[in-house]
Amino acid sequence: MASPAVSAPARRRGWVRGLRSLYARPSSALGTTLVAIFLALAVLGPLATPYGATEQVYTERSQPPSLRHLFGTDHLGRDVFSRVVAGDRDIFLLAGSGTLIAVVVGTLLGLLATYRGGWLEEVTYRFFDSLLAVPALLLALLLLGSLGPSRTSVLAVIAVAYTPIVARVVRSVVLDTKTKEYVLAARMQGESTAFILGREILPSVLPALAVESALRFSYSIFLVASLGFLGVGVQPPNPDWGLMVSEARDFVYITPWTLTFPALAISLLVIGVNLLADGLKRVLQVGVEP
Amino acid sequence: MVTTIVRNVRRTRVRLVLTALMSLLVGGGVLAQSAPHGTLKVGMESPAKLDPAYASSDSEIAVLNAVYDYLVDVDANNNIQPRLATSWQVSQDGLTYTFELAKNATWHDGSSVTAQDVVYTFDRLRDPALKLPTSDLYSDIASVRATGTHQVTFTLKNTNPFFLYDLSDNHAVIVKKGTTQFGKTFDGSGPFVVQSYSPGDRMVLTANPHYFIAGKPGVAKLELIFFSDQAAEVAALRGGQIDVAMRLPSSLYQSLANVKGITRFDVPTNGFNVLRLRSDRKPGSDPRVIEALKLAVDRKAVTEAVTQGLGVVGNDTPIGPLYKKYYDASAVPPKTDPAKAKQLLKEAGYPNGLKLDLYTPNTGDRPDLAVVLKQQLAKAGFDIHVIVEPESVYYGDNKWLQVDFGITGWGSRPYPQFYLNVMLECGAKWNESHYCNQTFDQLAKEAGKTLDSQKRIEDYHKIQQMLATSGPIVIPYFFPQLGAIRTGFTDFQLKAFAGRTDLAAVHAP
Repeated sequence: MASPAVSAPARRRGWVRGLRSLYARPSSALGTTLVAIFLALAVLGPLATPYGATEQVYTERSQPPSLRHLFGTDHLGRDVFSRVVAGDRDIFLLAGSGTLIAVVVGTLLGLLATYRGGWLEEVTYRFFDSLLAVPALLLALLLLGSLGPSRTSVLAVIAVAYTPIVARVVRSVVLDTKTKEYVLAARMQGESTAFILGREILPSVLPALAVESALRFSYSIFLVASLGFLGVGVQPPNPDWGLMVSEARDFVYITPWTLTFPALAISLLVIGVNLLADGLKRVLQVGVEP
Repeated sequence: MVTTIVRNVRRTRVRLVLTALMSLLVGGGVLAQSAPHGTLKVGMESPAKLDPAYASSDSEIAVLNAVYDYLVDVDANNNIQPRLATSWQVSQDGLTYTFELAKNATWHDGSSVTAQDVVYTFDRLRDPALKLPTSDLYSDIASVRATGTHQVTFTLKNTNPFFLYDLSDNHAVIVKKGTTQFGKTFDGSGPFVVQSYSPGDRMVLTANPHYFIAGKPGVAKLELIFFSDQAAEVAALRGGQIDVAMRLPSSLYQSLANVKGITRFDVPTNGFNVLRLRSDRKPGSDPRVIEALKLAVDRKAVTEAVTQGLGVVGNDTPIGPLYKKYYDASAVPPKTDPAKAKQLLKEAGYPNGLKLDLYTPNTGDRPDLAVVLKQQLAKAGFDIHVIVEPESVYYGDNKWLQVDFGITGWGSRPYPQFYLNVMLECGAKWNESHYCNQTFDQLAKEAGKTLDSQKRIEDYHKIQQMLATSGPIVIPYFFPQLGAIRTGFTDFQLKAFAGRTDLAAVHAP
């Protein structure tokens, strides 16, 4: 399992092989493509949009989709396409960095606490269990109620809600690995804890972690959108998808496109990320008995 | 089962024939006053507080208005009308009001409504020890006495030209003497009797067969059905699960245009959203900043965008065109000029613009208003950060009275004095802009006391000139009251304050 010395070209070949096997199945091919498109739009961001995301043009209110406004305009004369694209970048930044924090913190704590065992493990995991006992959305509402709505709070909410879950996944793999002979051998050699965790145990955690990260990312997207919809997350006039759906609710009969496109964006991205996670699981052989 | 239905159908048919015969005999005039028939289903938000002293939302007042009676009522044209009081007299000095009560009015339990009940009601509402929200409003009452079984006399400490309107305040439904379980028991004298109440779901009421006003109520059954989401309420109206929806946002109102079987109502009101900047501390304490704010807003564009053109453009004063002779059309804020506003901000010490957090509750069109204002103010150098909060937070923690920059909704009132007294007088309870101007206070006090209507008109006009040019408030528009009813129902007259709409007057098809 542990392969500390992989050359750069070999690693690149690994990527290509991975991508090729992702595209071997239609479902994961679709997922990868969807995520790639959304990611590209997020990176391009303002370059891809014809108008500003919060720019209101009073003379062009409530216009149906046309060549001028691909997704139409809303009741304040804002271009829905530009808002959806700007919201895409926002959601990658928010859900993405939130997930990243959860994964990094969850992995570090999970590795250390499980490997050390004893009181550290007890305290850490009982605390995580207590967090897990509260549904993520409820936890989010509690936290936002005390922190006040802002981007930073939303980020904190994702981190707090998903760190315990990541830590649990890490724990299950570490428990299995820490009694393996190569780990015991490293200990006998008197290697430091950091070395053993980083070089001997982490590599076997990585595949499960990759799949879990993708899943957490899709949950984070949903959480950000839900909070925006409930009005406690990202604040107007920011082009948050959930917020856009919430704002468009009353306009569903007169300007349905203001509701359709952000709702479609949420669904497509979440479906895409989930299909990708499924594909990763297969390619990396996570949860498959050897 | 089948036979019962057949029997019922047969019975209904017999009844129909009888009714037809009777109407032939006694003529059409009496038919209009025939027994209540049909069901009226009204969609509304769930009421929270049904104690008259605390009730404030439209749905809460609608329940009270159906179950109880006001002493006097206000009609759709803002005129005082008799209700429990059939007539009244005012003394020469304007300090004594004597009311004659309807002699045939009874409580739902059968006992008759007397002057003692009216005394009990107002003594409770004005008792300073109880600290009810109404104690300020009625602090000028010296005494309320029963001067006969059906006669009540109010004595005032000061003259008050709007006293009858104060008596018709939303909270002032007459309750039975000795009532203590407010909001739990509903022994009123009103047109409808509560049959069942499931909080959060619905309230079912039936016509009061002994109601003292002839011809009311028009329907035999009234169902108030509670919705937490207005889009869902409108879907229910379209689907026929409810017959009436009120307080609609302009978007949903417009979505009902050209929908078959639905009639829409658009009533102008004096309700408004105020954008206000605290004037007792920086930056609002600088008159140049206030002027810049007024110069930065294009009220017409705001009205177009936020109310979809359904509102009436405002002039930064709470005295709107609905108050007719009190309204001064010549009091207008300075013409929109972002460049001049920018210059003023520079002079006031903000050469790189002024950064402000703008707080707004999450209800109605207020978030939209905040977003539109953000863009307009940006052109004048204001850098606005919008913070949308649940109403419970914005009002609940009294945040609206503390924040520097905020948007607050004010409901429509039948007379203008209320706004001056509670929102703009120095140190007033709800003076959210912390406005304090001696000239203003003198004018407002005089207008609220004088019995000389010409004098009052002059005072109101002066006040409007002051507020339009230098007040720390921007009132971009007055919003309309929007509602819809299923076609076939008659005599529905939507009021500016939707909760006071007379549901007892409505007739089913």
